[in-house]
Amino acid sequence: MAEATLESPDPAAAEAALLERLRAGDEPAFEALVARHYATMLAVAQTYVKGRSVAEEVVQEAWLGVIKGLDRFEGRSSLKTWILSILVNQAKTRGAREARSVPFAALAPEGDEPAVDPDRFRGPNESYPGHWRAFPGDWGRSADTTVQDRETLRVVMGAIKDLPATQQTVIRMRDVEGYTSEEVCAALDVSEANQRVLLHRARSRVRSALERHFDD
Amino acid sequence: MTESSERITCQEVTELVNDYIERTLSSHEMALFEQHLNFCDGCDWYVDQMRVTIAAVGRIEPAEPPPEVRDKLLSAFRDRSRS
Repeated sequence: MAEATLESPDPAAAEAALLERLRAGDEPAFEALVARHYATMLAVAQTYVKGRSVAEEVVQEAWLGVIKGLDRFEGRSSLKTWILSILVNQAKTRGAREARSVPFAALAPEGDEPAVDPDRFRGPNESYPGHWRAFPGDWGRSADTTVQDRETLRVVMGAIKDLPATQQTVIRMRDVEGYTSEEVCAALDVSEANQRVLLHRARSRVRSALERHFDD
Repeated sequence: MTESSERITCQEVTELVNDYIERTLSSHEMALFEQHLNFCDGCDWYVDQMRVTIAAVGRIEPAEPPPEVRDKLLSAFRDRSRS
């Protein structure tokens, strides 16, 4: 039987192959795995514990747990879900000993934060209230090149860095790492409704940053 | 199908856009949303902008761990393989 490779179009086969390489002690495979998940793990840990250095310790402890557990992992969830569950357990244990860095109340999106500056819409006493004064730009034709552009990526990364911690974690998990909303809710201990609002606000802010960039 | 007199505004579109993309709108809201897009180029472009934004975010490479952390974890991984 042909050996499945990392480039395999079948994700389940690719994951099985990766797991086999990890169990066989393949260092480049492990290094790539760490590189892929480290930033998200750190972001998640930071919502449970105070301070970046404690969060870094939690992430390292979680990786040691992953290394130890590799042989026991049964593949009932995906590898990344399993890694994340180890991290969350570790972070919760640590977070319970200290005060949680982000109070639970702060994980809920609060107050109104419009996606778009309200001044861009017609007022209640004008004709067509709530409609655009001037249309937003049509990015359609240039969209493909836009997304490839290094400068665009720099703007996107800057905008994400400026987001509040929980919004940052949600947009990273959903749109960079491809976690499902269920996985995000479980990892951050937030409701589905809160997850949706956090993602919406994060994406809306990044869109605004891109719009400012393109309008310049 | 009769057209409902109920309408949503452009401003409401900008607040519902991610629920639309995520397919978490109710079927009634979905119908109102799509009806709006049918006659409003500005909102059609806005939805596109949000999709471009999501695609651009998806191209970010996750930040790698600092070299000393990577080395520490690699050595723990190596020890496991030896044992």
